[in-house]
Amino acid sequence: MMENPRERGDSLPARQQFEEAFLPHLDAAYNLARWLLRNDQDAEDCVQDAYLRAYKAFPRFRGGDGKAWLMTIVRNVCYTAIRKLRRHETPESFDENIHQATDDTATTEEFRQKANAETLRRGLERLPPEFREMIVLHDLEGHSYKEIAAIVAVPIGTVMSRLARAREKLRVEIIAISTKEISYEL
Amino acid sequence: MNCEEAARLIGPYLDGELDLTACLETEAHLAACPSCREKLDLQRALITVVQEEMPRHKAPAFLATRIRASLKVDQSPTETIPWRQPWPVVWTWSGLAGALALLALMLVFSKPGTSSSLAQEAIADHVRSLQVNHLLDVASTDQHTVKPWFAGKLDYSPQVADLGPSGYPLIGGRLDVLDHHDVAAIVYQRRKHFINLFIWPANKSPLGERYYEQDGYHVLEWTKSGMNYLAVSELGEKELRDFTEMIKNQTTPPME
Repeated sequence: MMENPRERGDSLPARQQFEEAFLPHLDAAYNLARWLLRNDQDAEDCVQDAYLRAYKAFPRFRGGDGKAWLMTIVRNVCYTAIRKLRRHETPESFDENIHQATDDTATTEEFRQKANAETLRRGLERLPPEFREMIVLHDLEGHSYKEIAAIVAVPIGTVMSRLARAREKLRVEIIAISTKEISYEL
Repeated sequence: MNCEEAARLIGPYLDGELDLTACLETEAHLAACPSCREKLDLQRALITVVQEEMPRHKAPAFLATRIRASLKVDQSPTETIPWRQPWPVVWTWSGLAGALALLALMLVFSKPGTSSSLAQEAIADHVRSLQVNHLLDVASTDQHTVKPWFAGKLDYSPQVADLGPSGYPLIGGRLDVLDHHDVAAIVYQRRKHFINLFIWPANKSPLGERYYEQDGYHVLEWTKSGMNYLAVSELGEKELRDFTEMIKNQTTPPME
């Protein structure tokens, strides 16, 4: 937890206060952006843009969880970029039911053998961003359900069900990728 | 608790997100149900392997430097632009209409500031528009696409000209902020350079004709037909003046 440095009456310039408060979260911000955009260049640009936006909004930052606040901005910038990149594609509405996993045959032991850094990475990249971000925010960045609910702006119940479906879908993808049962049309 | 409910709570149970009552109920069900215990094992294996082995992308070292540089260029409400210190800025600009083009330029700010705070702010806006992917909110070479885009976003309609035949093609527009007001920024291109033309109602503070040069940027200000105009570019003075003359000759009085 962190209070707004401006309210402490510090003599540090605002920019220095901002950098000290938010640059430590740069890896977390980049990790989220890179997973959402799946591209180094886009992730770098979006993170830089997000920091500029955060800096402009800094006077309105009321303290609290600085990392979650920053992640909210990073996420919004990334989704705007995703929409722009998709501008010429047919818009696809997001339906959680369509993405429900169906495979239920692999055993725990089978899964352990097939899961490694490579199948995990490819599996997660294949999930829709709405699922991908759940795993990134919870399992990689360690945010609680409550924090994720605030970042993604959905109820906690939705975080719970979406994270569960994301994991289920990821498990199925990992099995599928390692057994090469599916083709990789992109 | 039935198996369906238990299956739903296994994830939150492993994540430590259940309250005490739900936690005890889930444990009681798991103790009595081998099938749900299998699901628990599988979930635990999945969560463990994801948390331990999923690659975490680390920000490249230059990104912190780039962000610090852009914060320096950016004008926050509480500090002035630090023109004093030399600071290299790497510009990136991703291209239009899906085609990505990378433009890398090096800039060094070194001279003490001489221009007005408005001109400095406009230069900062111009630099920022090139630095991050924010040159354009609406990308179009068609004035009849760009002009209507501002309708509903501003309470005035900015002039948008088609200077393509003269070698200054329109490439789009965006909303920006100058002197705490939302303003229209119309973007024109000259070879590989960009011109940001800011337009807003003069009301009680017309700009008058002024010209500034600072750190390789040129700023031209004027007021016509009740609107303030400010053109900023890294383009040479002569070409920027040619451009502004063409814009002035095209100005039509705003609709009342």
